[in-house]
Amino acid sequence: MTLRSTVATFAGRSSYWFLHTFMKGGSSLPGKITTKIDPEILKHLGQNYDVIVITGTNGKTLTTALTVRVLNQKYSHILTNPTGSNMEQGIVTTFLRAPKVKGDRPIAVLEVDEANVIKVTQYIKPKAFVFTNIFRDQMDRYGEIYTTYQKIIDGVALAPEATIIANGDAPIFHSKNLPNPIIYYGFKQQDEKDIKAKPNTDGVLCPNCQHILHYRYLTYSNLGKYFCPNCGFERPELKYAITQISNLTPTSSEFEVDGHTMKIEIGGLYNIYNALAAYAVGRFLGVTPEQIDTAFSEDKKVFGRQEVINLDGKQVTLILVKNPVGLNQVLDMIATDSKPFSFVGLLNANYADGIDTSWIWDGNFEKLPALNIPAYITGGERYKDITFRLKVAGVPDDKHAVVPELKDVVEKIKTLPTEHVYVLATYTAVLQLRKLLADQGYIKEGMGA
Amino acid sequence: MTYELNVAHLYGDLMNTYGDVGNILALNYYAKQMDVKLNVKVVSLDQDFKAADYDLAFFGGGQDFEQVIVSKDIQTKKKELTDFIEDGGPVLAICGGFQLLGHYYVDAKGDKIPGIGALDHYTLSQDNHRFIGDIVIKNADNGETYHGFENHQGRTFLGKGESPLGNVVQGKGNNGEDGTEGAIYKNVYCSYFHGPILTRNGNLAKRLLVAALKRSYPDADFAEQEALPVPATF
Repeated sequence: MTLRSTVATFAGRSSYWFLHTFMKGGSSLPGKITTKIDPEILKHLGQNYDVIVITGTNGKTLTTALTVRVLNQKYSHILTNPTGSNMEQGIVTTFLRAPKVKGDRPIAVLEVDEANVIKVTQYIKPKAFVFTNIFRDQMDRYGEIYTTYQKIIDGVALAPEATIIANGDAPIFHSKNLPNPIIYYGFKQQDEKDIKAKPNTDGVLCPNCQHILHYRYLTYSNLGKYFCPNCGFERPELKYAITQISNLTPTSSEFEVDGHTMKIEIGGLYNIYNALAAYAVGRFLGVTPEQIDTAFSEDKKVFGRQEVINLDGKQVTLILVKNPVGLNQVLDMIATDSKPFSFVGLLNANYADGIDTSWIWDGNFEKLPALNIPAYITGGERYKDITFRLKVAGVPDDKHAVVPELKDVVEKIKTLPTEHVYVLATYTAVLQLRKLLADQGYIKEGMGA
Repeated sequence: MTYELNVAHLYGDLMNTYGDVGNILALNYYAKQMDVKLNVKVVSLDQDFKAADYDLAFFGGGQDFEQVIVSKDIQTKKKELTDFIEDGGPVLAICGGFQLLGHYYVDAKGDKIPGIGALDHYTLSQDNHRFIGDIVIKNADNGETYHGFENHQGRTFLGKGESPLGNVVQGKGNNGEDGTEGAIYKNVYCSYFHGPILTRNGNLAKRLLVAALKRSYPDADFAEQEALPVPATF
């Protein structure tokens, strides 16, 4: 260890201790202090770890959490970064916080923001990368899907020996020739057709000859068993696959992976992809399907993204939405509820939400009227946008209450005609709503979603 | 419904960034209130566009990669699209669609990508910078104010026969220099507005629909449609 690294590590560790103990915080500042003193600190901090980098637009957080649970079945020392600390400083802090390990070589499972992959691989050569998916995300920040993928690939180029574990149903992950070993996971379904993705889907051009891709089947968005009728480009061979979907509800999913029955306590097809990614990493590192099944079933808190809150008898499910593909998946998921439910949409447009609200028009709210939802509420700082979105989607005015202020939304929810209530909200709206609910004693303080 | 309009959604499967499909949804929403049924068809790669088949066209924005592919394909539709425009066919073109109706645009890599030159503008790029943010413009002729969200790297300069959709009140507009935003040529309306433009500016949706109705049903009276109130949504 160089003197500079020693000083940097000490300064970072002490600041973490100070912040953690006295300020009840400390996620990225220690990393900031440490990298200021020694910009190459990650090299020193990460060298003793087998690092798994998980990146992509949607599903990073849950895939990371599930991967940690899966690997815990076989390995004793696993380090991971907390939600949201997925940029360089947060990752440095994660390593600084880690207790010293004796014995086995520890593993670090890191959720890494797409543009920050290169900031990690500059100093650390990961054992594997996991690519979940690339969809349009608040584009005022990053740009288009091809630019985003290029950012990831630029980072991967510095670690050509790392194995890539990628979603094989996403055409973009098959679009470049990379020197790395690649393992694909995806869905293997029986009914094979010849169909195209819906017109408003992103990323449907063949990377090879630029004709529109066709599909034998689609799971959602542009994911599925794609093929190009023009040049023969097609989905690569899958090493790990979902072979059957048995049961989907808003709170659970039963499916088979390579013939092994598994269950996760969360709804949504997209979450099956997250579980499958974690499964693939587990198998890659020698964890058995039986152990993975145990990992999925034993700790339910891992599925914290969909928080269920009891609001004076209403069972309120609070769900974060941030881009059209995620939103559509959530709409599909709530549609699987067998009980009647009410719908609440809360829209903000602060930096963390994405300052452009255009994306709500790419969401398929048109499916809502057919679900016989007896009551709707729209609110948040940009309530006018979300209100008009639902109006255009065909939501009838007499079932639709416009309630701009969140404190009034809370009161209104208590009067809804159904026991089940789904609240779809953007990031800062989730934070504001949780704070209100915490102040009123319905939940504990802190970020749960 | 009494009236029908055939709408071409040009490259709707490739040119569909930032909720631009919302323009189609908004057209539908107002058309219903005007007793008009819309038949929307996506016209994409290797498919013909016949001017006589359509009453209205919408052309949204795309990502760089898709736009380059569209630039090649749209040359095969150049004549019919130009005929449609010259004949007074109403068109709404946003962002990349706006650029491709002009002579050319220069993309982020510096490549010059040809448009169809149906309108007389051209588009340059800017280095590592985009115009991003809320924008408000005012049309000098009809007095209408339009609200949107702009997000573009291109800097467009208008040519002969084009007037701006509006003058910039807040934001950057076509190029950040001359205070113009968008373009109007005959019944073609172009803009960089997302948001989408028609969901925030129902008056413009109405204007397009009325133009299409008058052209396709020259003997009918559309006073009622023209009087449709459009409450603010933004």
